[in-house]
Amino acid sequence: MKHLPCLAVAAACLSLSLNVSAADFKLIANSSVGASTISGDELKSVFLITKTSLGDGSHVEPVLLKSGATHEAFVKQYLGKSDSALQTYYRGLVFTGKGSMPKELSTDAEVVAYVAKTKGAIGYVSSGTAAGGVKTIEVN
Amino acid sequence: MIFGIKNAVFLAALYVAPAALNAQVDFKLFDRTFQVHGFASQGFAYSGQNNYLTMKTSTGSFAMTDGGVTVSSQLTDKFRVGAQIYDRNVGELGKWRPQLDWAYGDYKFKDWFGVRAGKVKTALGLFNDTQDMEFLHTWAVLPQAVYPVDLRANVIAHTGADMYGTVSLHKLGALNYTAYVGTRTNDPRGGYYLATADAGLAIKEFSGIVGGWDARWNTPIEGLMIGGSWLNQTENINGTIAPYGNAPIQISDDFEQTTAVYADYMRGKWHFNGEFRRNKNVLDISLLGARSQADAGDKGWFVSAAYHVTKKLEMGVYNSRYYVNVPTTPIPAGDHIFDQAVTARYDITRFWNVKVEGHFIDGYGDLYSAHGFYLGSNPQGLKPTTNMLVIRTGFNF
Repeated sequence: MKHLPCLAVAAACLSLSLNVSAADFKLIANSSVGASTISGDELKSVFLITKTSLGDGSHVEPVLLKSGATHEAFVKQYLGKSDSALQTYYRGLVFTGKGSMPKELSTDAEVVAYVAKTKGAIGYVSSGTAAGGVKTIEVN
Repeated sequence: MIFGIKNAVFLAALYVAPAALNAQVDFKLFDRTFQVHGFASQGFAYSGQNNYLTMKTSTGSFAMTDGGVTVSSQLTDKFRVGAQIYDRNVGELGKWRPQLDWAYGDYKFKDWFGVRAGKVKTALGLFNDTQDMEFLHTWAVLPQAVYPVDLRANVIAHTGADMYGTVSLHKLGALNYTAYVGTRTNDPRGGYYLATADAGLAIKEFSGIVGGWDARWNTPIEGLMIGGSWLNQTENINGTIAPYGNAPIQISDDFEQTTAVYADYMRGKWHFNGEFRRNKNVLDISLLGARSQADAGDKGWFVSAAYHVTKKLEMGVYNSRYYVNVPTTPIPAGDHIFDQAVTARYDITRFWNVKVEGHFIDGYGDLYSAHGFYLGSNPQGLKPTTNMLVIRTGFNF
């Protein structure tokens, strides 16, 4: 019984960690992107570069964070891959000529700034990030 | 054990470059952004018995070096161009002669239909188009039953056109397809030429055409992909053959068909994959006015499992099995190569890895099958088993 407090703290930490990794991000896009919602499958296809336009015909290109909890959570939840598996996938495209390496940026602010100025850009940032100059897209 | 100057220079570059180039290099030309990427690897192989892959592995060999540089640009939303130079020196293979690996224009009309034209990497099986990029794989040496280092040039690329696309199957996943036609590639510094030289055949001309398709289904089961490929090639060879007083010889075939089925499954820290491949190849041989036929077909398969012990450390095993249809000589070790490998891969950084791998090989295949074992590099004769240690490090940017 004397281990109970430790277990409680561990459980609380795990719960906090799960909460952070579950859905603490939002999807943002350049104003040229017509859609205001996107399906999970479409989102996965956009970030795996098998889809370069949405249903309304607007061109899209993915923008990623280089690392961090938001990045890990997004990649796991919507792309079903680990970061290393995703990097392997992208490099496979690059070195066989089947795609370019998508833009990767270090901070939420850099992602917002890049998406705001780049036609068709779609990225993700942590949910508390100020997202001026970009539109927010819902995933349905 | 010889460690040449070229290897030393290459290794120096290998260890300096990751620090200097730990990300892609971009430059602008005519208001368009071009991405530059590159990769390189250096290996060391030591075997207890036979020399393997034309290296002097029985005394330890560093002659296992390769690298490439890629330049590409998305010129418009739908049109991209790019090219890659690849160079290798693996024993007698490659001999440091740079080659144009691929170079093409790619116009994507729709997500479900695009066209590539130029020299294009051939979509065949799990790894044909990525077999040179060790950093994409767990293994230091890919399963040689299906991806022989010696014969990469035979199917690595074609000069022609592809059509490709991704078709959504909605709740059933997605289907990626590629169909292609063109002329086949060959490499005078590849295993095919070495094996035929062992038989006394000096190839003067080599040509052929190629066509085929590849389809891979990303199933609704997360992480599971299943695929199939089919390739048809023709082959026209003119040469001379030493055992017949350097008489002219012509070799051709009506078809050389390769069929592959494969699957890849990734779940959590586990990664499994496997592939079966069969080559049907009947050669027509014309020598000194007489005509004959020879079955040059073979088949092979592998299964593998890998596990991420930590974020940076991955360990894996594979079982690779290669079978010759009709061996030249009826020796038990001469109709198969069974290779069981165990690997540890450590990612020092995101761009730099090192691998340590053990191989336990039974058999050496046909004397002329160009699957790692050559009479020319084993003049003392081939032994039935080979154990080998491979250490390989590579980086990319």
